[in-house]
Amino acid sequence: MKVNFRLTAMMLVMALLLLAVSATTAQGTVLRVWTGASSPVENEFKEAQIAAFREAYPDVTVELLVSPDYGTQIRGAFASGDYPEVFTVGQFDFPQWQADGLLAVGTEAIETPDDIYPGLRAAFTADGELYCAPKDFSTLGLLYNIDLFDAAGLEYPSADWTWEDMSAAATALTTGDVVGFSAAADKFRWMAFFYGNGATLFDEAGEVAFDSPAGIEALTFYQSFIANGSGKMPGDLDSGWNGEAFGKGAAAMTIEGNWAIGYLNDTFPDINWGVAELPLSPAGTRGTLTFTECWAVSARAEGDLAEAAWNMVNFLTGTGDFGAKGVAEAGFGVMPARAQFSELWLTTVGEEYAAYVAGAAYAVAPIFPLGFADFDAAVNDGTTLAMTLEEDPADVMTEAADVAREILADMQ
Amino acid sequence: MQDTLAGLSFVLPAVVVLFTFLILPLLVAFYFSFTDWSGTRPLDQPDAYEMVGFENYQRWIIDGRRVDDFYRSVRNTLYYVAGVVPIQTALALVLAVIVNQRWLKGKAFFRTAFYFPSITSSIVVSFIFLFLFSGGGPINLLLKAVFPSFEPVSWTTNNDGLVHLLLNVFGVNGRTVGPWAETEILGLEIWEWISGPSVAMFTIMCLAIWTTTGTLMVIYLSALQNIPSSVYEAAEVDGATGLQAFRHITLPLLRPTTFFVVTLGLIGTFQVFDQIYVLQNDQTARTTTSVAYLVYATAFEGTSPSLAEASAIAIVLFIIIFVATLIQRRFVGGDQAET
Repeated sequence: MKVNFRLTAMMLVMALLLLAVSATTAQGTVLRVWTGASSPVENEFKEAQIAAFREAYPDVTVELLVSPDYGTQIRGAFASGDYPEVFTVGQFDFPQWQADGLLAVGTEAIETPDDIYPGLRAAFTADGELYCAPKDFSTLGLLYNIDLFDAAGLEYPSADWTWEDMSAAATALTTGDVVGFSAAADKFRWMAFFYGNGATLFDEAGEVAFDSPAGIEALTFYQSFIANGSGKMPGDLDSGWNGEAFGKGAAAMTIEGNWAIGYLNDTFPDINWGVAELPLSPAGTRGTLTFTECWAVSARAEGDLAEAAWNMVNFLTGTGDFGAKGVAEAGFGVMPARAQFSELWLTTVGEEYAAYVAGAAYAVAPIFPLGFADFDAAVNDGTTLAMTLEEDPADVMTEAADVAREILADMQ
Repeated sequence: MQDTLAGLSFVLPAVVVLFTFLILPLLVAFYFSFTDWSGTRPLDQPDAYEMVGFENYQRWIIDGRRVDDFYRSVRNTLYYVAGVVPIQTALALVLAVIVNQRWLKGKAFFRTAFYFPSITSSIVVSFIFLFLFSGGGPINLLLKAVFPSFEPVSWTTNNDGLVHLLLNVFGVNGRTVGPWAETEILGLEIWEWISGPSVAMFTIMCLAIWTTTGTLMVIYLSALQNIPSSVYEAAEVDGATGLQAFRHITLPLLRPTTFFVVTLGLIGTFQVFDQIYVLQNDQTARTTTSVAYLVYATAFEGTSPSLAEASAIAIVLFIIIFVATLIQRRFVGGDQAET
């Protein structure tokens, strides 16, 4: 009996220990700030930003978490309802997180939003309200290998380059081991031509316009490089992605974002390359895609906490020294979200990357609306089928558009 | 009474751990598979989710819009399992028998060498494989050296099914095979069902066989060393040859181990994820996506991720694995497996 009693007592104590929650008795306002880890340079920059914030707002205690597994970690926090006051949101996560009621409205709180590029604001706007402040962004540009262009006796891509010029150049550049163009089977590459040709996912009446003639023309153009042999997918060039194929010199041109700058200069320092805006479409217009992330405030932060949280967001993204200006001065690849600092960014990284900044004026964030996951999947699938030449570009786009129409019909 | 109480208290920690980390998640996943929970909406909100009945199952498994994606991943997984499990089991047994021979010198070296791939990070191993199987990589160079007429194959990006390629040698392909092959069963045409694993999937299968064989070999090895030598001596006295001894003594005595190894192999291969995650690319997504990968993609990727739908797929995967294990128990297991 005694043994049993002791055992029970021991287990009780253990259970209590397990249950005991370390109650933190923090002083004043405590801001939990979560973001994902990226390159070491960028992580250092984020920490420098937070350190400066701590100095500027000594009353606020900041608990920073730079997580290498951010997506999973923040989802767990959301599900539990106990999530950080300030956190980053990717453009593709925004529609869902906004609909889930996780984000506070920032229209009033965000500092001079008019200065932020319109394409970026659009990515984080829902029901006419701007929810969060873009921290930085990337656009796609046309990368070209200067040495290969010289060897082929071609002129570099210029401002008046058209799709036809690009096709002709790709054919002329294809010799032996080198192809003219590295074309990933990724919708987030060819859709730059899609938007550039004036196509949209939905028309103004809200009907599906994905398989419009202009849209089909874009995928047909992108696929034509594979079909006529002047281009290959990076996998077929022994590369994991376009940047690698281009850096190795296996392709004379490719489409990649400004993240390629650091990669190419570090991994392939010998390659002599330039970047131009994407060529003009038959409609005479130009397009590119943008990829961005923003700093958001929790919908559950109230009173002083909300105020401190918005101070933090404006500190990180505003016009101050550690906001967009800081991003421009750090120059680690991503561009500042505010137009007034674009010149400064170019001074830091080099004027030769001006095409990326130029793209910001007309860039579109290629976001599929909420509830259209099947459409999204059908476009992925169709892109692969078109690029592996298994199906006709027009057919895959019509099939994907039909999926979108079905979803639209179900919603009504 | 006292004994019962003491006994219960001893198993309690294990039961609590198992319940919390094994049974509870399973039940929760089962429950959420009948909801429309996105996975991010806080559960303390009154509108966190709604019950939607069998809608998620309908969408993915019965006749919804994603049925073809689901059954394509099932097909990919089935070919993967059917290729990997028998080969890795047979190879593990052969290696274990060789390493167990008395005459073999440098046993420690071979054991380490065979076991080494298993303890190396699968991500690292996957990248090494990417290099080995790349267009200008060692595999192609070797084949080229042995067969001068060999055309380099892009192993990691080729979507052609092995069965399709084989049939093509005999002049049978999608166009000549006849209309019966276009009949759609469970979202896929019969012709697609019988494709065999694609070349890209085959590469991933080689990787899986190479990495897991070592672990299974160690299991076989320990079982081999448990067979008393007196049994072999008796067989020798009776005039059995080495091969007969293997066929009539070693194999039957290893049956419980084989059951264990095949079960482990089945469960592991049905759940294949990390190799796919690393080796898959945009080009091969259609022929290499496994069911487990589909669960991940549905829960976390794209603009409208859904944990509820991912849960529904995961539950179906659980049922598939459960049934497969029961079936193989009938074939491999039998009574001896229960000892």
